[in-house]
Order: sequence, then C-alpha cells, then structure tokens
Amino acid sequence: MIIFMQSLISGILVGGVYALIGIGMTIIFGVMRVINFAHGDLLMLGMYGTFYLFTLFNIDPFISIVVIIPLMFLYGGFLQKVFINRILGTLPQNQILLTIGLGLVMSNSVMLAFTSDYKILSTSYSSSSFDILGISISTPLLISFAITAVITAALYWFLLKTDTGQAIRATAQDREAAQLMGINVKRMSIIAFGLGASLAGAAGALISPTYYIFPQVGSTFTLKAFVITVLGGMGSIVGATLGGILIGVAESIGGVYFGAGWKEVVVFVLFLLVLLFKPSGLMGKSNV
Amino acid sequence: MFKKIQVTALALILAVPVTAHAAKVKIGFVNSITGPEAPIGENLTNGVTLALEDLKKKGIDVELVREDDTGKPEKSMAAFEKMATRDKVAGIVGPYSSKCANAIAKLAEKYKTPLLIPVASKEEITRQNLKWTFRLSATTYDYATILLDMATGLGKPKTIAIINENTDFGTSGAKSAKDYAGKKGIRVVAEEAYAPGSPDYRSILTKIKSKNPDLVFMVSYVADAILLMRQSREIGLTPQAFLGAGAGFATVAFAKEKAISNDVFSSTQWTGDVNWPGAKEFNRRYIAKFGKEPTYHAATAYESMMIMAETAAKAGDNRDKLRFALKSGSWNGIMGEVKFADYEGYTNQNKHQMLVEQIQNGVHQTVYPPKYVSKKPVYPFPGWR
Amino acid sequence: MKPLFKTIGAFPALAGLAVIVLLFLLPRFVENTYALHIMILVFISIVMGSSWNLLGGYTGQYSVGHSAYFGMGAYTTMLLMQYRQVPPWLGIWGGMAVALLVALIIGSICFRLRGPYFVLASIAVAEIFRVSALNLKELTNGAEGVLATDIPPLKIGGTLITDFSSKVPFYYTGLVFVLLVILVTWLIQNSKLGYCFQAIREDQDAAHSLGISLTFYKNVALSLSAVLTSLAGSLYAVYVGFIDPSTVLALDLSVQIVLICIIGGIGTIFGPVIGALVLVPLSEALRSNVIGESLINSGVVSADSAFGSFLTENLSHAHVLIYGVLVVVVILFMPDGVLGFAKKLAAGKRKEAAW
Repeated sequence: MIIFMQSLISGILVGGVYALIGIGMTIIFGVMRVINFAHGDLLMLGMYGTFYLFTLFNIDPFISIVVIIPLMFLYGGFLQKVFINRILGTLPQNQILLTIGLGLVMSNSVMLAFTSDYKILSTSYSSSSFDILGISISTPLLISFAITAVITAALYWFLLKTDTGQAIRATAQDREAAQLMGINVKRMSIIAFGLGASLAGAAGALISPTYYIFPQVGSTFTLKAFVITVLGGMGSIVGATLGGILIGVAESIGGVYFGAGWKEVVVFVLFLLVLLFKPSGLMGKSNV
Repeated sequence: MFKKIQVTALALILAVPVTAHAAKVKIGFVNSITGPEAPIGENLTNGVTLALEDLKKKGIDVELVREDDTGKPEKSMAAFEKMATRDKVAGIVGPYSSKCANAIAKLAEKYKTPLLIPVASKEEITRQNLKWTFRLSATTYDYATILLDMATGLGKPKTIAIINENTDFGTSGAKSAKDYAGKKGIRVVAEEAYAPGSPDYRSILTKIKSKNPDLVFMVSYVADAILLMRQSREIGLTPQAFLGAGAGFATVAFAKEKAISNDVFSSTQWTGDVNWPGAKEFNRRYIAKFGKEPTYHAATAYESMMIMAETAAKAGDNRDKLRFALKSGSWNGIMGEVKFADYEGYTNQNKHQMLVEQIQNGVHQTVYPPKYVSKKPVYPFPGWR
Repeated sequence: MKPLFKTIGAFPALAGLAVIVLLFLLPRFVENTYALHIMILVFISIVMGSSWNLLGGYTGQYSVGHSAYFGMGAYTTMLLMQYRQVPPWLGIWGGMAVALLVALIIGSICFRLRGPYFVLASIAVAEIFRVSALNLKELTNGAEGVLATDIPPLKIGGTLITDFSSKVPFYYTGLVFVLLVILVTWLIQNSKLGYCFQAIREDQDAAHSLGISLTFYKNVALSLSAVLTSLAGSLYAVYVGFIDPSTVLALDLSVQIVLICIIGGIGTIFGPVIGALVLVPLSEALRSNVIGESLINSGVVSADSAFGSFLTENLSHAHVLIYGVLVVVVILFMPDGVLGFAKKLAAGKRKEAAW
C-alpha cells in the first residue's frame, strides 16, 4: 500500500510540472493550430537560463521565474513573428517541420555554446524531503507544484477576466469570426506563442533543482507535452492541467507495476487509446 | 682518463641518433567529440593531448589524424576507413563507446590496421578472435566482479538489488552483476532497468526498499546517479553498501554532491591516487592543464596513445611489425602493467586490474584491492546524515 | 520504353540511361572504399526518402514514425542471419513481411486520424516499438544490440559470387534497391493508384465522395512505403554489421527520413534523390571538417584568425545545427524543396525568355 501511495504522490507532484508544459502547448495549438515540436526546447532554454542565473548571480531557481517568464515571452513572440507567422496558412505538415527545424537549431546552438556536459543545479534544498505517514515528499517538487498552481490560477484569471485574455480565447474558438469582430488575430498569435514559451520556460525553471540540464533534454518533454495536450483536449487549459497530472501518475504507477523500462510505453499506449476512442480528449473542444 | 673519453664518446654516439632524428609516426584517433557522449569524449581528447606532449619529449613526433564519430557506429566505420586507407596511418586509437568499437573491430581485421581500444568495455569486442584489435581496459564483467568481491570480503551480504539504465553499458553491467552474484551465493531480490532521462525514480526505489536488500548495485551515468542517490536518501534506502559500477559514480561531479555521495563505492579502471608509475603525476598535470580532474577515460586514452606511438616508432612504417610488437610487448605505466594476451576466450585483451573507490567527504579514495590503496573502506553504510 | 520516351522525352530518357550505366560501372574505376561508403549511404537514404515519399508526398500522410519499418527490416534480417543462419538475401523477405504486418497494424490504428493527429500517433507507435525492442531482451538483445559476425557467402550453383568482404556487393545491392524504388514511384505516379493517392492528398473528403476508398488506398500506400523502407533497413543492418534500438528505431531517424524527402522536393520522383545527395555528403563533410579545412587551405580564411580557429574547432560539431537551419530555410523559402525551387527558377527564366 505504501508503494502505491508513494508512487501516487510522487506522480502528482511531477505531474504538476508536466501540466505547465502541456498548458503552454495547448494554448499555442488552440490559437494557431500549430503543433510546436520545439516546445521541449523552449523548456530547455528556461532550464539553461535558470542555471546560469543561479551559478553566476546566485539567484534561487524558484525566484528566477520572475525573470525567465518575461524573457521567454519576448523570445516566443519573436519566434512567432519572424518564423511561424509565415507558414500559418500552409500545410500543417510544413508547420510541424518548421518547428522541428527551429528546435534543432535551438538545441544545437546551446550545445555549441555550452557543450553537452550535463549540468546539475544543486540548491541547499535539492535533496531535502519530509515524511508524512511513511511517504516521503520531495521539498523542491512540492514547491514547484505550489508555484505551478499559482501560475495556472493566474493564467486562468487572465484568460477569463481580461480583455486580451478573452480576445485570445475568441481567436482560439474561431479565428475568422474573431477577425471579423475586429480582433487583431496576428497579434493574438504572437501573444499566444509568447505565453506558451514563457510557460515552457517556467516549467524548465521549476524542475531544474530536481533534474539535470543538457541540450537535448527537450525532446522527451515535447513528446510528453503532446500526449498531455491530446489527453486533455487540444485548446483546453483545464484539460492540460488534468492531463499533466494524469500522465505523471500513470508514469509513476506504471513504472512500479510494469517495470521502469516500460514507463514510456504506458504513456504512449494511453495516448493512442485516447486518440482512438476519445480524440477530443477529456475536456474536448476541437475537431480531430 | 682514456676510459672517460671512451665513455663520453660512447654516450655521445648513442645520444646522437635519438636527438638528431625525432621519429615520426602517423596515428589515427577516433572519438566521440560531439554527440551525447561528448563530455566523456573530451577526457579522451585531453588524455591524448598529454600523451603527445610526453611523446615529443621522448623524441617521437606524432602526426595525429583526428576523427569524430558522434557516437554513431556507421560514422566510426567511415572514420576508420578514411584513416586506414586515405590517411594511411600506422595504427588507430579509439573509439570511446562500445557500440562504435564493436563496429570497427572487424574493420581493423579487414584493412589490417592495428586498433587499440582504450576504454570500451563490452566483452564481445575481444571475444571474436580478431588479431588486429587490442583492448587496454577491463571489460564490463570486471566492473561488477570487483565490487562483489570487495563486498563479500568486507561483510556477509545475502541479497542484492540491481538498478541500471537500459543502455548497452547499463544492461551488460546488470547482466554481469546478476551472473556473478549468483556465483557468490547472493540472491537477486530486485532488478529494475530504467530509461535514462526520467526525473523520478522514487517508485522504483520504494519498491526496492521494501525488499530490504543488503547491497544496491547501480549502473548509471552522472546525472541519473545523482538523482538516484538524492531520491534514495529521500525515501531512506539504507543497504549495507551502495555499489556503483563505473560511469556516473566515478566522476568528480557526483562526488561533490556530499549530501548524497558519501560512502558510495564505485568500480573504476583508474584513480588519481593509485600507486602505479606516473599515475599521481598524470593526475596533477591534467588538473593543472585542464582545470579539472581526469576520469579513467583520460588515463586509458593517454596510455593507449603512448603504447601505440612508441611501438609504431620502433616498428617503422610496417603495420605487420606494429601488430606483432603490440602482441609481444609489455608496458608498465599509469595504467599499471599492460600485456595483451589471449585467455579464456579473449584475444589481445589486457588483464587490467580494476580498482574500487569510495567517496569519503566528497573525495574519491582508492580503497580496494588492498595492494594499491590509500584509505580503508567504510562498510557497512552508516546511514544518512 | 515507349511510354517512358513519351512522358519525359527522348533526351532525358537517354541521359537517365547513361547515368544508370555509369553507376553500374563505377566500382570498376573507383577503388576508393571511402567513396563507395558514401555512395552506399546515399543509396540507403534515397530508398528511405523515396519510400516515405509514397505515403507522405503522394498520399499526403506525414508519418514521423517511419523508423519503425526501417528497424523492423533491420532487426528481422539481422536476427534471422545471426541466430538462424538465414542468408540476408532471403532474410530481407522476412523483413518485408514483418514490415507489412506492422504497417497494417499501424494503419488500422492511425488512419482514423487526420493531419497533425496522424503525425503524433505515428510517433507514438514508433516509440512503442523502440521501447519494446529495448525491453524484450530475449528477442532482440535489448540495448546491447545485434552484432553480425559472419555473412554467409553468396553462391549460385557452386560458383562464389561474393563473400561480402568488400563494399562492392553492398554498392550494387543499394543501386538495385534505388532503381527499384524509383521505378515503383514512377509506375505509381502515372497510374490509377497514383491518382487516387494524390486525390486523397488534395482533399480527403472530396476523394471519398468520389468513391475512393480512403482506408484501402491509405493502407496500400503505407504498405508499399513500409516494405520498401524495410529494404533500406535490412541493407543498413547487414552493411554496418551492428544495430541497436537507438540507431534503427529512433525518432531522430524518422525525422531524418522526412527531411531527405522534404529538402529534395516532396511528391516528386527525384526529390528524395536530390535530398539524399544534399544531406549525406553535407553531413559527412561537416563531420570530418572537410569544409573548414578547404576554406582554410584555399586561403579564403586564415587559419590563425579567430574565425579560422572557430571553424576548425566548431564546424564539425555544428552539422546537426546546419541541418536545422537547412530545414527552416527550405520550409520558409523553398517549401517544394530544392527540386521545386529549381523548377520555379527554370519557369521564371522561360517567362523572361518569352518576353
């Protein structure tokens, strides 16, 4: 029983971070119908940023989010404006390839600049944990979970209560209609991509105390982000949140009961099942 | 007086050939300069750099042909081909990974070019009756056996849990451990192979903790090693000993994480404080020149290059002679005694003595076998602080 | 021959024939094994790219999981050869059969999905195969991979044709596979099958309403594509002599396959050929620092300058980076690939000439 509870709790905590990645991707897809294959690499940039802020200026990773979020927002907006915007109308396949290319450029530039040495960010609390009823809870993971919750709540408020937020949702719902209503959809796309990038970067910052950093770390996260977004329903933030946690738990428990090597397969099988039987996801909104 | 003149004259005559003609040799060096194994590949590159300096001092001028295999077997093969046929090198040192080494070992036979493998550990490589391939380092099997030998010498462990990453190295390490544990009468209570790159091992570790193993045997690279130990501490896993088979556990980066690295054992091909000729000096020079401690990869690469170049200088341009000289020669350098022999199904394999280090207070100390040590091992694991 | 002449004209047909003859004679004049090696890699890439082209280029279904078929071919042939002593020229049939089976399974799962969802599903399936290959150690030897120790010599009625100790037999096998794939592509392009494929690519629903069975034709495309890709996999496996899940079943490989086709020109017969001719030598040239060296040797860049030393030290590390840049550039400015771009230029010139 303890093993089950332990894996459940760990899965939920890790799932929180996954959720953040998924939310970012789902926003991008919702607004632009672009599947961002470079999403994991945006996370990677967030990790590197956090790492250097920590080693050079001694800024705690959880505090550096305050810097990472706006920086990544600007970067995401730039990517959208200069590259992605040009292919918005074309074949979705081309869009995918473009983001793949951008991802390759990002991860390899980082490799060139910083070498592929694995970097570990060790804070004073990286190894701390506390015990509740025989279950150990990692302190840094708990803090990331809490911060993720705050960010998600803030995002939700932004999308529901502010004008820009509502404009973004309108664009996601029906791009042409939104345009007819006078919404500058191009600008919405830029903001959406910026948001997605900043969330990915924030996720990177949040897991850096418990993970390791290297240029190719993005690819595993990109795949997971896809699974989460589809599971939750492309374009649904609540869906992505639930999806993230679900995937975290599935991975964790699957790892225990099927053996650690089959963890990924559990996730992918889940993915295929969702695609086949409920392709619009848990909170499905869009058409397949 | 006359004798003095004679002796001086003799000395001069003998000295002149050595100083007047620096022997020139062309050696190929294939390595993972880029790609996922690049960080370790760097150690090999640096080791070779130091070797070239020392060879120059001995009057051997090495023209080094460098090739990058990016960790991929087909690129390693292309590189070997190029060096053997276009560049016409005397012999080749490298590569780093077992995957690549396996692929080019057969090419050495085909192109009749001596290949000296510094550190790829997969057993198969020198079990194929290949006459032109030589290996300096011990095999994966030895990584496991020495740790278990030590553990059974220090205590009476009855059970063992094995955790490994499901890569080539990890899988063969786990296999060796399982096999040898059986021979030693230690029961395997858990075997977990994980895919590298997942942040969370807590469930695996909890599962293992519930089986209460006396020994925990791990095969991982640095990053996973750190995470595994961090999480082991978190969930309070306390076996009699943590045994790390090379790779991640032998690095400085791991040792520095004092909160979680203390008292962890790791098996290694070489340490900076072992008392083999020139080892400590090599360690010092490496730190002075490159600003960090060498791993055993650096030491094996250094010694491989030294052996290959010195032997090539004596053999002239003749690859056959070079092969013969490698087979019949023996050396004693920073890697201890080296002799390429055929035994127990191995061909041209050096019976390299593995070492065990233990991290004490953030620093690796050689603790086994007793003949080569500087410190005594701490056993059993005293628990987490 | 007649339809060939009619469709492309006498001159290109003769030129094409000359090229083929030259390629067959090449190993007699070129003994450099390194050059042969590059040609073999190019051939394998062409087969990979062209096979993908049938599904992606002509039918519009972008699979980014083609490594599954490559890997199945590779593993089947290798395992049969190593553990059951089945010679590779028989083993490749096994590879093709397995690939066909896998394709039908994947098709039944994935073809209900459209566009980007299909892409994602194809990736997921390929990853499942990769992880399974890693974990099913008894079957595949897991991460340790399969090493070929001896390829049985090819004999026809007692006479030894080759014992595979040189590269030449692989060269010819590769060349034959390339010609096969190009022939298949050409036949399809001008057939009813091809029209149905392209109809599906242009507008699935319209095609369906015209009575074209989507399931049937998509599966045919995938099956052909899978079987041909498995040939590339089998050839690679026996040639390199070592395979493991991270080389023949990897996502990277799937992406590379797509790139070969995209860069050359998707949906055309010779697009993948161009793509392979661009990517393979480029990758090799970067890896072995030939570009950096020649820039320095020709005097364009001084070896001592900052740029010079940057080149020598870093250019070889940058080959994947350059792939990425190439992809971005091609997608943004040459979405029809090099071939399409060249055609546009040619069309532009003709327009000018008309004025």
